[in-house]
Amino acid sequence: MATPGQLMFARGLGPTTRLLIWLLAGVSCVVVDSRYHTLDGLRSGFSLLLRPVREVMLAPGDVASELGGFFTRHRLLQKERDALLAERTRLLVGVNEAKELGRENAELRALMQLQARPGQQTVHAALLYKGHDWFAQRITVDQGASSGVRSGLPVIDASGLVGQVSRVYPQSSEVIQVSSPEQLTPVFVERTRQRGLVAGIGQGRLELRYMPTHLDIRPGDRLLTSGIDRVYPAGIPVGQVSRVSRSQASPYLRVECLPLAGIDRSRAVLVLIAEPQVTQP
Amino acid sequence: MPAGWRRLLGTLTLAVLLEQLPWSGWMLAIRPDFVLVGVLFWVLHQPARIGFGTAFFLGLLADFQDGAVFGQHAIAYVISVYLVMFLRLRLLQFDPVRQAAQLFPILLATQLAVLLVGWLAVNPPSGLAMLLPVFSSTALWYLIALFMRLWHGKGLQDRA
Repeated sequence: MATPGQLMFARGLGPTTRLLIWLLAGVSCVVVDSRYHTLDGLRSGFSLLLRPVREVMLAPGDVASELGGFFTRHRLLQKERDALLAERTRLLVGVNEAKELGRENAELRALMQLQARPGQQTVHAALLYKGHDWFAQRITVDQGASSGVRSGLPVIDASGLVGQVSRVYPQSSEVIQVSSPEQLTPVFVERTRQRGLVAGIGQGRLELRYMPTHLDIRPGDRLLTSGIDRVYPAGIPVGQVSRVSRSQASPYLRVECLPLAGIDRSRAVLVLIAEPQVTQP
Repeated sequence: MPAGWRRLLGTLTLAVLLEQLPWSGWMLAIRPDFVLVGVLFWVLHQPARIGFGTAFFLGLLADFQDGAVFGQHAIAYVISVYLVMFLRLRLLQFDPVRQAAQLFPILLATQLAVLLVGWLAVNPPSGLAMLLPVFSSTALWYLIALFMRLWHGKGLQDRA
C-alpha cells in the first residue's frame, strides 16, 4: 500500500509546499482576473469547449417535457389555442394603434426638429445554463458575438427587463440579471413619473434607492426604465413595488420591489441591439 | 489505457456532464458539487494519479460555470485536496457513514474558502444558501462510498 509520504518524497516536494505553490497560482488568478481582466481568452476557450456539451445536456429535460406534452389532453390544447387566438386579435389591434402612433410621433418629431429615436433590432436567445448565484446572478444564453451581441446590451423577456449582457463569447454570452447585487437600473415610477434608481439585492429581489420620505409611492406601483442612461431604452417594465417602509434612522424610504420579468422562469429572451446613435454637435 | 485510468476519466467526465444539466430553482440551490466529490474520491483512492493539478484545472472550470472570478473554486478545491491527502489513511479506515461524516468538515471548509475568496474579490454573498450544497455533497459521498462497499466487498483501500 502506497502512503502519501512515499509519493511525496518521490516527487521531491512535500504536500504543503505544493499546496502553497498552487494557492499562489490561485491567488494570482484571482488578482489578474478581478483587477486586470486579462483572462477573457481562457473564458472564451471554456465557452467554446462547453457550448456543444451544454446543448447536448439540454436534451434530457427536453425529452422529458416532450413526453409530458405528448399526453396533454386534446381538449386542453384546443382551449389554449382559442385563448391564444383571442389574445392575438387583441394584440393585433394594439399593434395597429402603436403603428399609427409611431407614424404620428415621427411626424411630430420631424416638425419639432427633434432627433429621431434610435431603432431597435432584436436577437432571440434561449437560456443555455444557469450557474450558482452566490455573488452575482448570471445566466448564459445561446447567442454571442457572431449574432451581433455586444457587452452592455439590455436583455428582456415578454414581461420585462431580465438584465444586461456582461460577457460575450463567440457563440454564447453571459447576462447579469437585474436582481443581481449592485446591478443598477435607472427607472421611473409609472404613476407619478418620479425618477429613481433600482438596485438588485440578490435572491430575485430589487430595491428602489434614495426616495425621500415625503414621496408618493405605494405598493403595486410599476417601475419602467427611464432611458436616461442610454443603455436601456425608455419604458421597459422592470419591477413592481411590493413593500414601502419608513425608518427613523434614514432620510430615505425603504422600497422593496419584485422584478416583473420571469427571471427564474423564462427560457426564451430577447437581446435588444440598438443602432449606434449619431451624436450631433 | 488501463482500466483504472478509464474509470477515473469516465467518472470525472460524468461529473462535469452532470454539472452541465440545465439545473434551476431549488434543484440548483441544493445541487451537490459533483466535480469536487469526484476529485476528492479519486484523491482518496488513487493519489498517485490525481492531485493538485487536476483539482486546480477543474476548479477553474467551475469558476467559468458560475461566472465567478477565476481562481475562486480553484483555491478551494486545492485546499480540500490537501486536507484529504492529509487525512487519507484515517479516512480509508471508516465505513461509509463515518467517512461521510468526516468528509463534511472538509466540504464545509471548501465552501467557506469559496465564500471568502468571492467576498474579498467580488461582492458580499447574498445569504447563507451557498452552504446547502455541502449537505448534498456529503450525502452524495455517502451514497458513493456505500456503492463502492457493496461493489467491492471491503472497499478500495487494498488496491489503492
